[in-house]
Amino acid sequence: MFKYRLHPVSALINFFKGLKELLLPFIIIIITSGGIVINPNDPDFWPSLIPKLFLGVALIFVLYIGVVKWRTYMYWFEDDELRVEYGLFVKKKRYVPFERIQSLNYKEGIFHRMFKLVAVDIETAGNSTEAEISLTAITREQANRIEREMKEAKKRLQAVIVDEQGMEIVAEETVVREHVIHAMDKKDLILLASTSGGVGVVLAGILAIFSQVSAYIPYEKIYKEISSVVSIGFALLASVIAAAFIITWLISVLMTFVNYYNFKVVEQDGKMIITRGLLEKKRTTIPLSRIQGIRIVENPLRQPFGYATVLVESASGGDDDNKIASKMNLFPLIKRNEIAGKLAHVLPQYTIDTPMTSSPKRAIPFFYRFDLVYVVPIIAALSYFFYPYGLFSILLIVAFMLLGRWQWRSAAFAIDDSQLTIRSRFLSRTTFIVHKNRIQSMEARQSYFEQRRDVASVGVTVMSGFGGSSSTAMHIESQHADELLSWFERERRDEIEQ
Amino acid sequence: MRNPPAFQIARKALTVWRVYGSIQTAILLLVGLVMAILTKMFDWSPWLHIIWFGLPMLSAIFSIYLFPKLRWERWRYEVREQEIEVQHGLFVIKRTLIPMVRVQHVDVAQGPILKRYDLANISISTAATTHEIPALITKEADELRQRISLLARVAEEDV
Repeated sequence: MFKYRLHPVSALINFFKGLKELLLPFIIIIITSGGIVINPNDPDFWPSLIPKLFLGVALIFVLYIGVVKWRTYMYWFEDDELRVEYGLFVKKKRYVPFERIQSLNYKEGIFHRMFKLVAVDIETAGNSTEAEISLTAITREQANRIEREMKEAKKRLQAVIVDEQGMEIVAEETVVREHVIHAMDKKDLILLASTSGGVGVVLAGILAIFSQVSAYIPYEKIYKEISSVVSIGFALLASVIAAAFIITWLISVLMTFVNYYNFKVVEQDGKMIITRGLLEKKRTTIPLSRIQGIRIVENPLRQPFGYATVLVESASGGDDDNKIASKMNLFPLIKRNEIAGKLAHVLPQYTIDTPMTSSPKRAIPFFYRFDLVYVVPIIAALSYFFYPYGLFSILLIVAFMLLGRWQWRSAAFAIDDSQLTIRSRFLSRTTFIVHKNRIQSMEARQSYFEQRRDVASVGVTVMSGFGGSSSTAMHIESQHADELLSWFERERRDEIEQ
Repeated sequence: MRNPPAFQIARKALTVWRVYGSIQTAILLLVGLVMAILTKMFDWSPWLHIIWFGLPMLSAIFSIYLFPKLRWERWRYEVREQEIEVQHGLFVIKRTLIPMVRVQHVDVAQGPILKRYDLANISISTAATTHEIPALITKEADELRQRISLLARVAEEDV
């Protein structure tokens, strides 16, 4: 049995990974040790070297670990299993049967690119957030070999099962069928970046810059000479804000480019393969059979233009950005009316556009009533401490009432034989589509006040990676809530059929 | 809303919850006493005594008397061949349906207080959620666990 080693570059990659973790302590040490003293005659010179000596030792240690990790890591194929062995003092072995492997995910960093290598994460159905086996750097050919071995092993296994049933073995040559479902060009990327939830980033940017500049803003003058400052102060403020906006927008465009460059979704043998990335190429595989539900998210910037984001809830591990939640970004940006067409051949069981039943008009107060519980004390405090201008905060009530009304307009649900669709809004309008056989549990909720107005909310939970992911049809008619419960129940339905 | 599930949890649950409430109140009272002494020693505002003794009082009213009573009256469960239905809640009544096919495992747990009253909690786990039926008579809890795991095993996948 020939045992393979990872490519030597993995030692270097390990080293940089270790370095990344040490970066913060390093910076702290350098700052606290009083910076760098160059003059050897300075009395501080020798003492200032001691921390740097520690740094040097730590650096060599990290490098050593990196090399050892590479030297001790072996992998090979045996008995239809992928086996790995690693560790210096404690030898660890891990055997993963090929049939249990759910997906091979590829990543390419800058180092990988230089030597035409890939990092391979091998994932099984197990409930762990990390990949079962992670090969830091191997050649493309080796990666293909693993894939080939896996396919052959799976085929052999099928043959054995057929044998036992005493039937003729039909050697079925699997034709690799592949078709592109979705790809994004540069125009899409810019649109994606400029309409993403970057509002938060923009705000943070403005605040950061503002806190730097505020020292130079003549506040005292502002109070004294309101009339003259109206022209100067506002001009300064406006230009600062404008600059902040432009800079953050550029950064977010750049980041989107790096992350989503060449974004492509391909369907192949019952799997969806997502590839993306400029500096670091990422390849994520989602087995179609593991998909639990679809989420269509329309944020307020995109909805007016008919654009949306499509996420899938998958029972296997998520992509790098959200490992635990396991929502995978299937279409980062897509025209709302194109979704149905694009999903039609991959996930034909999902009906995207169905007529929906809305929440009744009398439920509107429930969408903001609870918010008022904490908003009113805030308003009272603001009005008291910042009288009289604090009184303007009363407008918050109006804002929350309008937001509640907006949320009410989005709240709706639909059921057919096996599919449940729930639409809701916090700020973005989210449509969650799920099938009965993927729902783990259903919960109807009704408060005393809701009972009096004869409305109730119904939530469902599906499996999502490590845990669950929920969606709730808010404040719908009680009678509809009952209908949803009966729809989900098996026994009562059977009674009707008999 | 439709009829609630058929079974109530053990009457003794009420006693256990009242014991929990009493423990909580006792702790609050102890803290309150310490704070009251400190208030006297350092001449803090005497109004603070309202907080130090008011909180244990509220705790006594709510977590010993009112909440256990409401909660016990609300609690209902029903284990049927194809699903488990549970109803609970204090201010918001929650009705949960768990299909038998989705049940992955059932645990029975019993703390020292529950043990004294011969009660046990059952928790039912699916791939994504965990649901608890609290304070069942130990024997019933064990039987129920047996029954659920049996039903869960025979329940057919409806794909």
